[in-house]
Amino acid sequence: MIEVQDIRKRYRRRDVLNGVSFNADKGEITCLIGVNGAGKSTILKAVMGLTPIAGGSIRIDGQAPGPKLYERIAFVPDRLTMPTGMKLAEALRFMEDFYESWNSERASELMRFFGLSYSDRVGSLSKGTAAKFNLLLGLGQDSDYLLMDEPFSGIDLFSREAIMEVFTSELIEGRGVLFTTHEIGEIEHLIDKAVLLQDGKVSRAFDCEEMRSGEGKSVIDVMREVYRA
Amino acid sequence: MNRYLKLVHMEVHRFRWVLAALMAITAICQISALIVTVLTELSRREERLSQNIGNSSAPVPAKDPLTFEWVMMITQQWFSLPILLSIAVLGLYAFIIWYRDWIGRSTFIYRLLMLPAARSNIYFAKITAFLLFVFGLVSFQLVLLPIEQLIFKLVLPADLRADSHIVEVISINQALAMLIPRGFEQFLYSYGLGTIAILTIFTAVLLERSYRRLGILYGLLYLGACGLAVVFPILFLGVGTPGSSFFPEEIFVIVLVMCALVSCVSVWLGMRLLAGKITV
Repeated sequence: MIEVQDIRKRYRRRDVLNGVSFNADKGEITCLIGVNGAGKSTILKAVMGLTPIAGGSIRIDGQAPGPKLYERIAFVPDRLTMPTGMKLAEALRFMEDFYESWNSERASELMRFFGLSYSDRVGSLSKGTAAKFNLLLGLGQDSDYLLMDEPFSGIDLFSREAIMEVFTSELIEGRGVLFTTHEIGEIEHLIDKAVLLQDGKVSRAFDCEEMRSGEGKSVIDVMREVYRA
Repeated sequence: MNRYLKLVHMEVHRFRWVLAALMAITAICQISALIVTVLTELSRREERLSQNIGNSSAPVPAKDPLTFEWVMMITQQWFSLPILLSIAVLGLYAFIIWYRDWIGRSTFIYRLLMLPAARSNIYFAKITAFLLFVFGLVSFQLVLLPIEQLIFKLVLPADLRADSHIVEVISINQALAMLIPRGFEQFLYSYGLGTIAILTIFTAVLLERSYRRLGILYGLLYLGACGLAVVFPILFLGVGTPGSSFFPEEIFVIVLVMCALVSCVSVWLGMRLLAGKITV
């Protein structure tokens, strides 16, 4: 389980995170929802140890983030994480060289599924293709947790469909998925748990199925209540 | 260790074309300057001979044999220019080696920081790669000199040339003498100071990357403080300074201690920033 407890961060005299707490369980898809600048990406970066926090704690299966954990937790940021001059084949070799948890067979399958070419250079990929390749780098690891920052943002319809297909496949099953988005529409049915962020705080955190059956509200209904209040 | 070596390999691989270009520029500049100088001198001598002029303002009398040493003296600028260019490029690359991972469409620093290995590997891989570039270029120059000497012999008829020792050849060119010191001690001082300078630059860059706007100030202050720490004993305690009660040997030891201190603090601070303060 990813446990985020009372984390705080200030940036340019503003409290970006002001006591954020939530859990993301293994085997569930947890979505961090919030408007732009709500601190969603900062939370993911903090979980991955890519930005320091001023207070609070982050635990992954009881352990603090550290180099060893990077074998068990994969992060798909909203940008490319391989040098633009690298060919996709070289990028895959890089992952294989550095990660023991890298699954080359699965990576090859995903290359075929996404229709990617090994000889293409990272810098020449379109935004949609880059998003697919980024996702491939995350899914190629046999990790327990997968973190994704805005995986559906700014990409074409077909790329979005391909990525959504992955969300409902066995590639995700059994893993704890934590991802951020500010456009919930099409992906609402994929989410198990929603965490709504506002002004650097968690304003609501709930189980989507319970919310639907108990209160008859969709995630968008709750968002309207929170953000339009 | 394995991941560190892989990172070093990757850093070298990423710079390989620039390194190859610098080597090519060095070879082309130096060899062409050598050939042009020798051929010009030969034609001048032939001209003088045909005009039967006894005295001229040429640096070498018409009948004196030419030496490789003389060519080095005449082509000083053309030999130094690619060396200075390489130094400038490497100086700039001390910053770019870090910033290229942050800036641009692809932010490779995300991947580097998420590697399942101690982040100190990134720091040590970058400094190792940088030193490999420096010594790679110096080695190339060392290999190039005998080749140039061979070209000199091929271009010039045997009766018009005299042999010269490679050590003398190096010492006659100021840039080469600085690049390839005669004594091991001097080599240690030059390259040791250079390495310390790179370590402090790396730490200053990491300060900027950790604290951003304020980090620029921290970085500049850090560079200033390190520079001052190294030159302070020479400037304020050195021989000739009024009231100085230190022997030159003592000043030397103080400078050495300060250099060791600056290196250790730079590496330690760099590691700390990478491990806990760096932000993407």
